[in-house]
Amino acid sequence: MKTRIRVAGALALAFAFAFAVPAFGQEEAPAPGPAPTPDAQAAPSAPEAPGKPGKPEDPSPEKPGPIEPTGLVPKSFPLFGSSGQVTSGTSFNPAISVIPDLVYYRDSVQGGAFGIVEGADGFHGAHPSHEDEHGGLAEGFNLRETEIAFTASVDPYFDAAALFAASEEGFETEEVWVGTRRLPAGLKLKAGKFLSGFGYVNQQHPHQWDFVDQNLAWELLLGDHGLNEKGLQLTWLPKLPFYLQLGAELLQGENEGIASYVGPENVGPVPVDDGETPGPDRVLSRKAGPRLVTGFVKISPDLGYDAALQLGASYARSAMHQELHDEDEDGIVDEAFEGTVDLYGLDAVFKLDSARPRGAGDLVVQAEYLLREKSLGLVGTPDSARFRQDGLYVQAVYGLAPRWQVAARYDAAGMTNSVREGGESEGFGTSKRVSGALTWNPTEFSRIRAQYTRGDFFSEGVKKTFDQLYLQLQISLGAHGVHSF
Amino acid sequence: MKKTSTGNALAAVLLLSASFPASAALNVVATTSSMGVLVKAVGGDAVRLTVLAPPDRDVHVLQARPNMMVALRNAGLLVAVGAELEVGWLPAALKGAGNGGVLPGSPGYFEAAAQVPLLEGGRAADRAQGDVHPMGNPHVYMDPERMAQVAAALAERLATLDPAGAAGYRSGAAAFRKAVDARVPAWMAKAAGAGSIVAFHKDLVYLAALLGVAVTGYVEPLPGIPPTAAHLSDPTTRLKGKKGVILYTDFQPGKGPEFLSRNLGWPQVRLPLEPPVGATAEEYLKLIDRWVDAVASGK
Repeated sequence: MKTRIRVAGALALAFAFAFAVPAFGQEEAPAPGPAPTPDAQAAPSAPEAPGKPGKPEDPSPEKPGPIEPTGLVPKSFPLFGSSGQVTSGTSFNPAISVIPDLVYYRDSVQGGAFGIVEGADGFHGAHPSHEDEHGGLAEGFNLRETEIAFTASVDPYFDAAALFAASEEGFETEEVWVGTRRLPAGLKLKAGKFLSGFGYVNQQHPHQWDFVDQNLAWELLLGDHGLNEKGLQLTWLPKLPFYLQLGAELLQGENEGIASYVGPENVGPVPVDDGETPGPDRVLSRKAGPRLVTGFVKISPDLGYDAALQLGASYARSAMHQELHDEDEDGIVDEAFEGTVDLYGLDAVFKLDSARPRGAGDLVVQAEYLLREKSLGLVGTPDSARFRQDGLYVQAVYGLAPRWQVAARYDAAGMTNSVREGGESEGFGTSKRVSGALTWNPTEFSRIRAQYTRGDFFSEGVKKTFDQLYLQLQISLGAHGVHSF
Repeated sequence: MKKTSTGNALAAVLLLSASFPASAALNVVATTSSMGVLVKAVGGDAVRLTVLAPPDRDVHVLQARPNMMVALRNAGLLVAVGAELEVGWLPAALKGAGNGGVLPGSPGYFEAAAQVPLLEGGRAADRAQGDVHPMGNPHVYMDPERMAQVAAALAERLATLDPAGAAGYRSGAAAFRKAVDARVPAWMAKAAGAGSIVAFHKDLVYLAALLGVAVTGYVEPLPGIPPTAAHLSDPTTRLKGKKGVILYTDFQPGKGPEFLSRNLGWPQVRLPLEPPVGATAEEYLKLIDRWVDAVASGK
């Protein structure tokens, strides 16, 4: 409790810095001579002040030699005065990109493969409130979420981004955040709703994945949207000769897998057999946000121009996780759990950049391991239970030829998969998948992918297998996307 | 107990961070080795140079690496080519670096394309036309004249960041200008009467403009789109019987140029677009010499 207040205090202090520090920056004299382009990321703006450097000149390749210095040419004015307005027009618009995602899907179990994945043994607690609302694809054509992203600098102190996922069902806010630009000492502070820095793949939006679907470790332990929460994030890149990033987050705590929050709800008494007297009502606890804290470290040795390696370790702790179980679906809550959850993550990414054209010969190998430990009390009883589950994936993407990539992935969940309730302990089988994908990127703005997946799952103690086939068409309209390492 | 070890680790990082040499030299990061040439020519020993992109890669399609972020984190000045040439990776590297001092708009951000007039600007921002740069062609580093102008602007920028070294920066830029001017007449003489150029990509536009040689075709049908046999038949029929040369660079595939060379009977020359990392002005100008010789071979 005390620790969290201290963390909150530190973050608040850092936020105050975001305002205080740039005041020094303002004293910096503007550089003489031509001004630099305001923002390399900004969408290209058509109108340019006359004489401004970078102003396109007449394309006249016949005219060699030094060119007349700009800024000295007088502007010609219309004879009777201009009725125009000197305006920036729409030049201040944020950079906008729209990314539609079309998928054709078939499987070998009458479209039931997603149901098998979600029902994997030992993971049924992952979807407490809304069953089958997302995730699955229909057999045939699917229009997946279209990502709509806006990014811009707010002012000299802040950057901001707003990313939405538009689907036929509605409009979801994926990310809306404000980040500092000018904190000193390699510090950055972010506030809003964002993808957590926990692990590696979590910071990628679905259109950045190397496969059509999310890997099993993240899908089963943290759900369809990953660790995507409201709160504050502080990262620090100390001044070192190699890459070391330290990060901490204070989050609201709403993730279905580790911080599901129902609130102080009365779920009635513990169900009893006919004739028995029901006990007192069970009321879940109230816990104000933020309920989730994360911390992560990423380290990368300098391997020169051709290779890069990044290793990461992450930890998250949820102070309140509540699950309501209604196994027989009769509307009466059979078991209500609440307690804390610890999540541990390890990640590694290795990239090889070849000198061959358009991605040929490039190699990316990445792997992550997640371990979740829930320590939950059975509400209305003195009993408690410990749930322990884990998941991992290993994948490799290789540039087969210019613009062609081949990818392979192995992912598994439930290698350690147990429930410890009182003195009893129950284990579950491991569910796993193997996937292969072939991707053609005609340009950086379009992508066509075919993926085959073989699943080997345990569901209600029974082994179930399936085959899946995906064909994906993805395009990117608008501003050039920026993909971090 | 756990808290103590975390505290110790943090203290160790802080200590390492403090002991990392904060020497007097200004850390300057150049995105490409040609920008590095300018930094070296103007900054001399007063700056410490790091180049982000290896010279044999296509800067359009590079990816951000963590060591780029480290370099930018510790930089006092970033020198980029600009005009969105590095748009695929530099913003990502800057985002990861957490150094507000080198963000666009800051005194620590300098882009070559913003210092000189650009060719081919003001065209439609339509990606059906390939990987276009609507603000103008970014490959200004292939024009030594423009590079000399950029060097002069860079000297003034370095002088504001480090007023004590101002005289040195200005004389460095002047020496670069002198070296360029000394070579231009020989280049013009060599290229006089040269046939036209068929380039792979629009990266030789500025060199052709300097030499007064026309670019009559491209191996790729649109910027960033690989050639097809159908597209290559057009320059073949159009340019048959005329004189010229086919020029391309390391990371551009040789099949198309070889096909054109066979069909037109023109020489085909493949040269590095960028000098080696850490190259001097002399090495850069020697590379331009080689390109001029290649243009002249199309007589």
